[in-house]
Amino acid sequence: MKRTSTQPPSAARDLWRLIRLFRPYRAWMAAGGALALATVLANVGLMAVSGWFISAMALAGLAGTTMNYFTPAALIRLFAIVRTGGRYLERLVTHEATFRLLSELRVWFYTRLEPLAPARLQRYRSADMASRIQSDIDSLNHVYLRVIVPIAVAALGTLIILAVMAAFSPAVAATSAMFLGMAGIALPAYLRIRAAGPGEKLVQTRAALRGVAVDGIQGLAELRVYGAVERHSASLRQLSDDHIEAQGGLSKLTGFSQGALGLCANLALWVTMLLAIPRVYAGTLAAPDLALLALFVLASFEAVAPLPQAFQSLGESLSAVRRLFEIIDAEPAILAPPLPSPPLVEPRVSIQGLCFRYGDEGPWVLAGIDLELAAGKRLALVGPTGAGKSTLVQLLLRFWEYPAGKILLGGHDLRAFQPEDLRTHIAVVSQDAYLFNATVRENLLIARPDASDEQLVAACRTAQIHDFVASLPAGYDTELGEGGTRISGGQARRIAIARALLLDAPILILDEPTEGLDPPTARALLDAIHALMQGRSVLLITHRLDVLAALVDEVVVLEAGRIVEWGTVQALASSQGAYRRLQDDLAEG
Amino acid sequence: MSETVTPSEAWLLRQQTAVRATLNRAIALGMANGIMLIAQAWLLAQAINAVALMHQPLHAALPDLLPMPILFLVRFGLVQAQERAAFAAAARVQGELREQLFRRLQALGPLWLAGRASGDLANRLGAGIDALEGYYARWLPHRALSALIPLAILVAVFPADWISGLVLVFTAPLIPLFMMLIGKSAEELNQRQWRVLARMSARFLDTLQGLTTLKLFNASRRETQVVAQISETYRLSTMKVLRVAFLSSVVLEFLSTVSIAVVAVLIGFRLLWHDLPFLPGFFVLFLAPEYYFPLRSLGAHYHARMEAIGAAEGLLEVFEAPLAEAPPPVSTSPLPPAPYRIEFLEVGFSYGPDRQALSGASFALEAGQVTAVVGPSGAGKSTLVNLLLGFGSPSSGRILVNGIDLSRFEPASWLAQIAWIPQRPHLFAGSVLDNVRMARHEASLDEIEAATRAARAHDFICNLPQGLDTVVGERGFGLSGGQIQRLAIARAFLKRAPLVILDEPTAHLDGATQSQVLAAIRELAHGRTLLMITHRVATLSLAQTAVVLEGGRVSEIGTPARLMAADGALARLAAVHPAPVAP
Repeated sequence: MKRTSTQPPSAARDLWRLIRLFRPYRAWMAAGGALALATVLANVGLMAVSGWFISAMALAGLAGTTMNYFTPAALIRLFAIVRTGGRYLERLVTHEATFRLLSELRVWFYTRLEPLAPARLQRYRSADMASRIQSDIDSLNHVYLRVIVPIAVAALGTLIILAVMAAFSPAVAATSAMFLGMAGIALPAYLRIRAAGPGEKLVQTRAALRGVAVDGIQGLAELRVYGAVERHSASLRQLSDDHIEAQGGLSKLTGFSQGALGLCANLALWVTMLLAIPRVYAGTLAAPDLALLALFVLASFEAVAPLPQAFQSLGESLSAVRRLFEIIDAEPAILAPPLPSPPLVEPRVSIQGLCFRYGDEGPWVLAGIDLELAAGKRLALVGPTGAGKSTLVQLLLRFWEYPAGKILLGGHDLRAFQPEDLRTHIAVVSQDAYLFNATVRENLLIARPDASDEQLVAACRTAQIHDFVASLPAGYDTELGEGGTRISGGQARRIAIARALLLDAPILILDEPTEGLDPPTARALLDAIHALMQGRSVLLITHRLDVLAALVDEVVVLEAGRIVEWGTVQALASSQGAYRRLQDDLAEG
Repeated sequence: MSETVTPSEAWLLRQQTAVRATLNRAIALGMANGIMLIAQAWLLAQAINAVALMHQPLHAALPDLLPMPILFLVRFGLVQAQERAAFAAAARVQGELREQLFRRLQALGPLWLAGRASGDLANRLGAGIDALEGYYARWLPHRALSALIPLAILVAVFPADWISGLVLVFTAPLIPLFMMLIGKSAEELNQRQWRVLARMSARFLDTLQGLTTLKLFNASRRETQVVAQISETYRLSTMKVLRVAFLSSVVLEFLSTVSIAVVAVLIGFRLLWHDLPFLPGFFVLFLAPEYYFPLRSLGAHYHARMEAIGAAEGLLEVFEAPLAEAPPPVSTSPLPPAPYRIEFLEVGFSYGPDRQALSGASFALEAGQVTAVVGPSGAGKSTLVNLLLGFGSPSSGRILVNGIDLSRFEPASWLAQIAWIPQRPHLFAGSVLDNVRMARHEASLDEIEAATRAARAHDFICNLPQGLDTVVGERGFGLSGGQIQRLAIARAFLKRAPLVILDEPTAHLDGATQSQVLAAIRELAHGRTLLMITHRVATLSLAQTAVVLEGGRVSEIGTPARLMAADGALARLAAVHPAPVAP
């Protein structure tokens, strides 16, 4: 049954790309390969010379003559030392080079992945990405250590072995070549085809297993309440069974390849005996050479022994490679401009005729927005869920490219700014700020790694979280737990706000800053936000203006991607327009 | 081998009881293969002896040569059968342990899991269990074979040449001895390696989940250094383990090579001096490498053992973590008929010595009514919900359901009476449909549509690319907070439970949606006991009773209208919508 279709035709290309990545370490690998070759040849030599030595000694004993046993004894010693030391050094060299490369590849992968966030990574789960950066990169070591080096060693080693063999008997060399070809070429090729399916399945089920496990851990409370624990366990069990089945498929092939390798070697030995015996009888081959040839042929299979297994796991490795290149090759949603950013003299934003939609087919999320945020002004952008508020923020931060319209920052086209610079001009307090499984301090330093303790404390005081942090057993060095779960939602929000305060940018975007905080805390925070707003241009995004109304100069109401109202809070509140409708809905409940 | 067995390995060994028969079969097959090998060596030695020493023609050697291919084929079959049996044993242990581990994590409960790195725990379920394969499929069978096959070879060698036999007997113990010496340090290194891997796992998942936040602070490029640093740590730790592994294998190889050389030299000179015939000499020489081979390959499988022990440490930690949740009651009470009146009597709870969350909280959720619990963050509101869900049990006081202590109910059947909408609902990998249907698996599509309509989620679902079949996942990529909230409300509608718990049900919702959702909740509350945590006046208006919680204690109870008018704690805590217009 051919399963080649499951492996994309680009597999060979992926393999070449992988080999090219190894360029910085080719000297290391060449040295490792040379050592491996020496080891293999020493081993074959050791066996062959030993066989010859024993027979020659026996024959000499039988004939009652003496013989020169110093030369073979010296050879045996030499081969034994080369074999033992060579293998050790070879492993050290090739593994060192490979793991250095893998360590670099991990960083390389991250630097290629980072520009893709968040736009291009939306369809991937973080657990899946984590599995790529970890296990998939790890599994690349198979390609280097078990495929590339062994192929080179087998190819060279077999040629040398066959040449030596041919000097004794061309016929033996020819049949050995045939059996070596079966074990070293036909068997690996067969396994490669047969293992592609289970190999790919193994990688997939491993990633899926991880996803289901993360879901089952993070969502356990809900699974329990909805009585879905059993069903979730069943799907984990099913995946686990599939995973084990894939492992089993590969294990079966492993057994087959081990058996087949032994069979080839033994048959080669057998045919060698049939060919050599008549020549010994005829006297055209020295009697001790029979034992030499027998052991020589048997030992020569060590040169090709790693290949079947290597090709069997190649499918798995190549699936991993594909998963890596798939991310590497994704185009970032935006391209950084070639020139350095223009200076930002005046923190004002003007938006003209801005349109946006996700994908080329989707509905327009923003359908011609005109907006002016003058320097030092505070503008509230109000609208129902799905009106396009968050999308606008994402465009301002250059997370997505916009197809039509203009955004000017300080009079310059937004596209002229390096995305990195842009984010030093704009601070965001977002409704779903992520807290890392690290200390309070580390979570704050994300915003400004060189911030002093005083600055941290000051920011936390403004965000009204300092007293709480100080009361924790380890203070600022308290671990927050995964997703900040060891503190309450309100406290987490305040730490996130303190983080944004530290960034100290001239333009401030507040994306639902008080959502999830209880009203006294929200009200208490107003003073802090008010202080932060001083001297900054502010865009406040919210669906309920609420107590924040006191902080803004003007309100823009967004509905279905269009601006439907614009004016001061007083003016809008006293009219009968969209703003009033939104607020009334909230009040009556 | 009389190695000291670590607790992790003792545990691994205990797991093999169920598969011992299968493992024994694998060992027997391996043993049969070893005996065939001895026979093959004998035949080969005879053939070479006949031709090289006795100068006989091919036909004289044929009786030795002709049976050989049969032996080859039998060995071909035996190798495969051995591998299959060994894998079957490993597969069974792996499947069972993975399931047990998952069950254990579930039993440890949401409070135990909260704040633990789920990436690391998921890794234990996946790679952690995978790492055990080598222990059962390779290490255990080969450990047995590494004793049995050399023994069989000795039995064959002694009658042929007792001097070589003695050399083999005396050199063999050197190998396990050296392995033990090296193994000690390898073991520690391997366990450390596993911890490094776990940390790396957790850190990468954390970084990737928070990548957008990192990006907002321009910290995502700086994080490159962290990635580099973790990768380097991992590399150094990997290489340390490997260096020891290589060292142990070079020692093994050296010892076996020297021993074979001694055997060969002794045979060679006795042949020269005519002390020994060629046939037994060649036979022994052919077998000598095979004698050490199982011991040497044990060195290779030693790595698999170490990996398994390292992984087992992480598994054992989960299996041995004490269950914090109350054990299921010995004698359960049947659930009283709905509607429920739930009474909290002097309930206290603490997460640790310094983290008292509730102390002596007393109030009641009246049957069929809506009770709002209001309080600043950290007041103990979420703890209240956790206790009601049975994720923890009160350290003092009692919770009564229609007069019966909550702890007397069978947990699953109690949870079946509850619909709960947490503050941050979890979206599971799968379609929107899967995510709603999890509340009641047998629900029809019509019922699901009714639930999504009631939760005001129907319209946005219709606008998704594949409607109900749109795949969503982790943290609801693609869905907004409000949309996730409404899916969670749809779950609650679908479940039709007599007790409903809502944690900030209108957070993330805009005005229009909020009034729709509130109307939906009002429908949902009909005939049910409903607890909601809130501080929105609009939401409060649904409640007949408001309970104000401050510092783990109840500070006010009454109707929302009365408390608001009284200008006490509730008035302070609750916000008025819309805000008074700025001056």
